[in-house]
Amino acid sequence: MRELFPAKQVVGFIASLVLTVIALLVYFIDMSFQLGMIILLLTAFTQAGLQLVVFMHAGESPDSDSIYVNTYYGIFIALAIVFGSLLAMVWGY
Amino acid sequence: MNIDHSKPLEYSTETNDLNIIGFWVFIGAEIALFATLFAAYFILEGRVADGPSAGHLFVISTLMIQTFVLLTSSFTIGLAVNAMRVGRKGATIGFLIITLILGLGFVGVEIYEFYEYVHEGLTLQTSAFSAALFTLLGTHGAHVSFGLFWGIAIIIQLAKRGFTPRTANKTFIFSLYWHFLDVVWIFIFSFVYLKGMM
Repeated sequence: MRELFPAKQVVGFIASLVLTVIALLVYFIDMSFQLGMIILLLTAFTQAGLQLVVFMHAGESPDSDSIYVNTYYGIFIALAIVFGSLLAMVWGY
Repeated sequence: MNIDHSKPLEYSTETNDLNIIGFWVFIGAEIALFATLFAAYFILEGRVADGPSAGHLFVISTLMIQTFVLLTSSFTIGLAVNAMRVGRKGATIGFLIITLILGLGFVGVEIYEFYEYVHEGLTLQTSAFSAALFTLLGTHGAHVSFGLFWGIAIIIQLAKRGFTPRTANKTFIFSLYWHFLDVVWIFIFSFVYLKGMM
């Protein structure tokens, strides 16, 4: 039974639950919009990183360098699209 | 086919390695797809026309159910891959079945939620906000729904053929897909729902 529940994955799951509960505090506790967004940015990106490394085994493939470069590039594109669009169309510069 | 027994089955041939890295490239493209949908949503979220707004619509109870169900399914499919690596076929299939049942539960809650939105007067045509919201949530939900069928196919292959380099590779790639959907949900949970309700 033990071999079916490796410690690394169990800890990863508990960590993701804890991060979710921290994110939910934004709803349950009265706080400023800025503070809330900072908390959400931290919990969301930490949690995404956790999935990538613990559950998706990104580091153990023989091609892990290529996988990381590909993923970082994807994240860069995503941030450029999202913040570029916001900059041009919402924040009004 | 050259099988390297020092590695887990899913990496044991060159084709398998290439399949896995190819799937990561696909995930890179999916990140860009969802980024465009998020960008559209963030730009349009305030344009509610005469319809309900995000703060008015979103409900914490269904959000929490969806989030915990999907997080748990991401954990169980991780356990399925682990069981595959220790050679436990029954456990692997069992974890995959639990994963798919949780996935089905997620899609069910999402459909219920869409039904509630329509009752609140929010349809695809209501406002720029509703169009962007339904497109983003719907694209994610469609991915999960597709994953349910893919998962069933994987279970059938594992049951019929057991662990081979091919079936192990397919199972591992399916797990990558499923974890990726969980990552997308984390961002929807944080920056669509919680931001909208804050």
